[in-house]
Amino acid sequence: MLEIAPMKLSAADLALPAEALVADGVQLALADDYARFSLRARDAAILEGLLGRKLPAKIGETLDGVACLGPDEWLALLPAGTALPLGEGLPVSVTDISSRALGFVVEGPRAVELITSGCPLDVAKFPIGRGTRTVFETVEIVVWRTAEARFHIEVWRSFAPWLWHALAAAA
Amino acid sequence: MLLIHCPYCEEDRPEVEFANGGQAHIARPADPSAYSDPQWEEFLYIRRNPRGRHHERWRHVHGCGRFFNAVRDTVSDRFETTYKAGEPAR
Repeated sequence: MLEIAPMKLSAADLALPAEALVADGVQLALADDYARFSLRARDAAILEGLLGRKLPAKIGETLDGVACLGPDEWLALLPAGTALPLGEGLPVSVTDISSRALGFVVEGPRAVELITSGCPLDVAKFPIGRGTRTVFETVEIVVWRTAEARFHIEVWRSFAPWLWHALAAAA
Repeated sequence: MLLIHCPYCEEDRPEVEFANGGQAHIARPADPSAYSDPQWEEFLYIRRNPRGRHHERWRHVHGCGRFFNAVRDTVSDRFETTYKAGEPAR
C-alpha cells in the first residue's frame, strides 16, 4: 500500500500571522491542531459500533467533537494524533482529512457580528454546540458554536488566507 | 435573500447555500441500447420551460450536500414545496 506522509502545515506556509488578532471586542486566532475525520455511513449504527461512541443524530447537532453535517455525513474534530479504526470491509467510510482544513477561533462579545459580516445564517440564534456547514461570502466553512461568545470555524487550507483577511478586515 | 426549506436539514436556509440541478423527475432509460435517436434527443435535451409551476432538482451543496426536489413558480420565484429525492412528484 502506498504510504502518504501527512502534510504538516504551519501558519507561515499559508502566510498567516502566528499571533492572534485582537480587535475591539473580538479576537481571531488559529485553532490548535486537530485530527479531522470525515465519517460517512448510510447506517449510523454500524459507524457507532465501529468507533465505540455515539454520533449526533440530527443535522447541525454536535456530540463529543463530532458534528452531524448531513444525513449520512459527520465531521470529527478530535485531539491531534487521535487514530480511528478505518472499518475495512464494513459499509462505512472513515477518512483522515486532518491536513485538508484549518481551524479559526473567533472569540469575544463581537464574535457573532464578525461571522455575520459574511455568513448568511442567523448565527446569533445558534445554541451552544450547534455546528453546521455554510458559506462565508463564497467560501465554504463549518461554523461551530463552542461557547456563548466563542466560535470555531473550519475552512479548507487554500481558502484560509483569504478568510483570515476577510475576518480581519471585518474586525 | 430567498430562503429555501431543505427537507433533510428540516429548516429554512439561505439561497446561496443551494445549487439548481435542472428539471426533476426525468427517468433514465431502463434499456439504453434499445433507445432510438429521437428518444435520446428527448431524454438528453428536451426540457419543459413552463410559465408557472415547475418541478426542479436542487442541491444543498454548502450544507448537507443532498439533492432534493422542489416545486417553484417560475413567475414569482416562490418555492411552493420541497421534498426528499425519491419521493413522488407533488
